[in-house]
Amino acid sequence: MMTRTFSLSGDLGRSYVVVAVALAVISGALLIVEIARGGRDRRARVAIGASGVLAVVALLAAVLRPVAILSRGTLVGPRVVVLVDGSRSMDLPADSGTRREAAARAVADLSRRASDVRLSVLQFGEGAPTPIAPGVARPLARSDLAAALEAVSRSADERPAAIVVVSDGRLDRPGPEGTAAGVRAALGTLAVPVHTVAAARSDPVDATIRAVRAAGAAVAHQPFSLRVEIGCSGGLSCDEIPVVVRELREQGAATPLAAGTAHVRDGVGAVELPITIERAGARIVEVEIKSPAGDTIPDDDRRLVTLDVTRDRVRVLHVAGRPTYDVRALRMWLKSDASVDVVAFFILRTPTDDVVASQDELALIPFPVDELFTDQLPTFDAVVLQDFNAEPYGLAKHLRSLARYVDKGGGLIMVGGPDAFVSGHYEGSPLADVLPVALPRVEREKDREAVGVDLAGFVPRFTEAGRGAPVLAPLRALIGEDLPEMPGVDLVGDARPGATVLLAHPTRTTKRGAPMPVLALGEHGSGRTMALGIDGTHRLLFSSFAASAAGRAHGAFWDAMLGWLMRDPRFEPASVDVRGGCIAGAETTLLVHPLPGEKGPLSVRVRRLGSGEVVRSVAVALPPEGGPVSVGVGVLEAGGYSATVEIGAGEAKGPTTRRDFACEKGGDEWADPRPDGDRLRAVAAATGGAAVGAEDAGSLPLPAATQVAAERHVAPVLPPWAWTLAAAALLGVHWIARRRAGLV
Amino acid sequence: MTRGAPGRGGDGGRSDPGAPRGGAAPRIPRRGALAAIAGAAASLCTARRARAFGEEGAFNPRVLLTGTAELEGVRATAPARWARELIGRTSAPARLSPSTVRADDPALLAEPFAVWGGGGDVPPLTDREVGGLARFIALGGVLLVDDFAPEEGGAFRKAARRELARALPEGSPIPIGTENVIFRSFYLLKRAAGRVEGPPKLEAIIRGGLPQVIFSQHDLLGALARSSGGVHPLSVTPGGEPQRERAVRLAVNVAMYVLCSNYKDDQVHAKFLKGRKGGGGP
Repeated sequence: MMTRTFSLSGDLGRSYVVVAVALAVISGALLIVEIARGGRDRRARVAIGASGVLAVVALLAAVLRPVAILSRGTLVGPRVVVLVDGSRSMDLPADSGTRREAAARAVADLSRRASDVRLSVLQFGEGAPTPIAPGVARPLARSDLAAALEAVSRSADERPAAIVVVSDGRLDRPGPEGTAAGVRAALGTLAVPVHTVAAARSDPVDATIRAVRAAGAAVAHQPFSLRVEIGCSGGLSCDEIPVVVRELREQGAATPLAAGTAHVRDGVGAVELPITIERAGARIVEVEIKSPAGDTIPDDDRRLVTLDVTRDRVRVLHVAGRPTYDVRALRMWLKSDASVDVVAFFILRTPTDDVVASQDELALIPFPVDELFTDQLPTFDAVVLQDFNAEPYGLAKHLRSLARYVDKGGGLIMVGGPDAFVSGHYEGSPLADVLPVALPRVEREKDREAVGVDLAGFVPRFTEAGRGAPVLAPLRALIGEDLPEMPGVDLVGDARPGATVLLAHPTRTTKRGAPMPVLALGEHGSGRTMALGIDGTHRLLFSSFAASAAGRAHGAFWDAMLGWLMRDPRFEPASVDVRGGCIAGAETTLLVHPLPGEKGPLSVRVRRLGSGEVVRSVAVALPPEGGPVSVGVGVLEAGGYSATVEIGAGEAKGPTTRRDFACEKGGDEWADPRPDGDRLRAVAAATGGAAVGAEDAGSLPLPAATQVAAERHVAPVLPPWAWTLAAAALLGVHWIARRRAGLV
Repeated sequence: MTRGAPGRGGDGGRSDPGAPRGGAAPRIPRRGALAAIAGAAASLCTARRARAFGEEGAFNPRVLLTGTAELEGVRATAPARWARELIGRTSAPARLSPSTVRADDPALLAEPFAVWGGGGDVPPLTDREVGGLARFIALGGVLLVDDFAPEEGGAFRKAARRELARALPEGSPIPIGTENVIFRSFYLLKRAAGRVEGPPKLEAIIRGGLPQVIFSQHDLLGALARSSGGVHPLSVTPGGEPQRERAVRLAVNVAMYVLCSNYKDDQVHAKFLKGRKGGGGP
């Protein structure tokens, strides 16, 4: 397209142009004043005036030298940013197909107007919007429009002339309250209209769990209230909706926590359910409702909620077979730690002891073994069996429930002594399967002591895993490689698969030829166990050896041991995150953060909670430079999972760490499946935009195109000498006219 | 750990002809000490089960020696008697041949208990001895200071306090009675008792809420002393053998306190013990 325009010569500054024009105007004005004062005839005045004005104009043109500009250009459409909701709620049903499909159709309609506008189609959800990847995109866990608008506003790219939002309106930000203010705040200085396209209009026929809220913090062992909010939409007949809450377990059926009924009025209802979770950490709780017939979205009838259960204090049951300096040392440490609530029972009198006193004169109480290991057992975070014989005091019959306690997430420490492990009659018991070491069989009872203990003194040695394990780092920082001599050891077998040996006997070996474990850590079910085959850790507190570290080594050792048992992050070899959360049916990636200095291969096993089935097993190499490692574990179905991470191989394999997580198809994004058209209209109204349905996306009032010059020619209207000649000629005519009128 | 057969004494007694004077513990002939050890060994022969695994974890009533003092005199048998009574009456293991340890010996830090006894004034401790005691207490050790001659003016008690003030300048003893865990760590005791009846309370320097240096004005070791023939060399006044039994119970309680710390202060015991009349006192 060609256009012609005129301008002044570009080689004169603006000030010179102004001065020249001003002089010309003044000259003309003076001429008019002069003519008006004279008394000549009209003809003479016209001749003088016209010639004078023409002469001034010609003189001015000679100075300014006007040019003609011939240019050729094209029409360019304005940049329009299209923000398409990428959240999981877009997979819910729309009026036709899914909302994601409706959004795709709307974007296609907009694209047909690409000759008028330039579309930048982006996906929003979490943080800044991103280009939509080809193929099946992973749905996002959030729909944060405000963050996307902020990013567009602050972007260094060409500022858009308009923004189009394609969504179902179920936005995290801006919220339903103050939508307009939220949008304006997000846009900042970007004053452009935001048009909205609703991907769905009608409510689905559905009963759903709208929200699961814990009243306050979830603290282990303490009852707290779980509020379950129910919503019904689309005309579904809801009245009373049964609700059940269960806790997923490593293996076996989920543990029922509570059940109730939500009374639904005007489409909403809620029920408060008191629950108590005995284990701290990330616990997967399943909340399920029984929907009425006609529910079109059954997937949102079940939520898997990860509750981060904290501890007020670590509640420890400390049971000792007899009082010794080792018992004293451990008790004093447990009591000195304000974060530990210890319940202790020590056997102070055996049936054969003669106390020479009546019962009333004794400060002894019965050992409530049945009460402790039945009703009370779940209330403890950890159980310490220190040199305790299971036979004489009635513990043997509770070993199965103690094993179940570990399976459900409890911690167990067996501390050695002449009445621990094999000598304590634990071999072949249900508890033996829980321990991280195998226990040798006793064929004849008279051989028990020979099979069970070695009374020779020895100095335990750190294994390679022990040298690198974070759980022994505090101890090694105080005492280095040295350990005090131990007066004997409980004889145990090989470490169980998955267990880690941190201390070993210097000379004794197992049947397989491996150094005999002295300290081993293991995982069983949801719980952790620790086997310590010696009763001399008190020498870390009180001995000539201990004095070198002012007795702090004992506390450093047990603080780490109990901390590891309770999954204290300080003693875990790595931390594990689920990048972007786990979405059922989509690729899941774990982000493993090993501790600095960790070496060797990293293996991840993903088990499904409930069945215990290993669904993924992945091994990767740790980068030599350190840093987090991304581990893809593939596509997972909806459910609870535990990821167990091991670092190292062979003897260098350290203790494991574990992270439980839930995979949901919808999650929070499906909690309320109703599209929110009001929100979209509020977004558009706040910025002067238009709100339309998906079918009308092509009719949005987008800004007009602008022309951009591609070619430009500049030429003087007349050459400078022509203007000068004309000015001189006109001045001559003017002089003649003035002579004839007698004005010279 | 060692378990020995219960050895029970209590067959009368006589006054102590060689009551400690001049600050050092009374001497006993070496042959007497050997006899005491032999007696312990004899008990072991009839023991229920004797094992040495973790013997260092067993209660060891070590006698603390300072200056030129030696373990001698009739009370030299008391530590072994103490161990035997503990083994016989409780589940606690104890060393039947208790050792001695010097205040300036690094071996003082090997175990968390020692008993320091005497009947007269004590020469000033050397700096090494004061340093040894200071380290022992700083690590959490428990020291029983037993006055063998409280009825003679308490010269040892005063001297021990004076020297302990050098090792533990910030601590001063306070009376402790039945409210303290020592009086209910195994037996429910209504008062303290030893060879002499003495005051009903003990005294103690409390650190971290727990008695760490315990002062007895009752000659506890005197009441425990017993020859290999089963004869008590020192008579107990004024209560006779019942008072000796109370002294034995106090010794057992001290041992249980050392082994269990404040276990009996746990809340779980309170509801069971409420209403029990207790014993061991008039």
